[in-house]
Amino acid sequence: MSKRIMVVDDSRLVRVQLEDALKGTEYEIAAYCRSGEDAIEQYDAVKPDLVTMDIIMQGIDGLDAAEIILKNHPDARIVMVSSLAYDDTFERAKAIGAKGFIDKPFHQEQLLNIFEQALA
Amino acid sequence: MNAAITQEELVRILDQALQEVTECTAGVCLHQGDQPLGEDLCTVHITFNKGFSTSLTLCADTSLLARMAQNSFHEDAVTPEDLEEFSKEYLNVLCGKVTGAMYRATQIPAHFGQPTFYHGRYEPEGQEIQFVLTYSDEHSKGAQLIHHVPCSSEDETALDEI
Repeated sequence: MSKRIMVVDDSRLVRVQLEDALKGTEYEIAAYCRSGEDAIEQYDAVKPDLVTMDIIMQGIDGLDAAEIILKNHPDARIVMVSSLAYDDTFERAKAIGAKGFIDKPFHQEQLLNIFEQALA
Repeated sequence: MNAAITQEELVRILDQALQEVTECTAGVCLHQGDQPLGEDLCTVHITFNKGFSTSLTLCADTSLLARMAQNSFHEDAVTPEDLEEFSKEYLNVLCGKVTGAMYRATQIPAHFGQPTFYHGRYEPEGQEIQFVLTYSDEHSKGAQLIHHVPCSSEDETALDEI
């Protein structure tokens, strides 16, 4: 059975890259959200196995959105996807309970490894 | 970006980031050369507003950016809106990659603003060119990545902020 991914990103480029990377794998994209607010609202309805969350978005940023989702759903598995690869960003992502961090642009192998670890 | 890092190192970071991001997002290989740009150009510009007082401008043949957008979005043809959307997102990802590498080299976290897109060539006001990296693809279409710094009168103040 496919594992369902909720993609939270306002970038079409990243969405297409994710679609390409997940084609033919055990993962399927169950929902797209273009903002953190949208992700918080849709999480209950989608009930994804994993969320990929961009950090810099219009409105609430991805770290705040992840924190809210994890407060409401402590078992949520969220992987941050961003080019903001600073130590303090990593630390905050870890502190709020994110299961991994993917650098943009990403390669399929890197993505699948981090998904596997996040769902282990 | 020139106070905390040598120009040589900055050129290396920008070149590596541009080649990696271009290949990974658009499946296009760009190599450095002296290919002159054509007349139909687009420019996308981004300003670093924290950490470094500089900006990056990508000026490219429209047909090169269109091909990159087609590859990225898997479209046979792209609209002007697609071209603008792709160009901005591409520069965003490129700048993310650059700031990550800059951070590893200097421990200075940089932030950048929203990219802006222009048809034709755009020169940011109050800034002067520090250096230009020139690229071409296998169809001899070109792109220039231009590193701007504040004009000399503003330069000392800007560098003091770093």
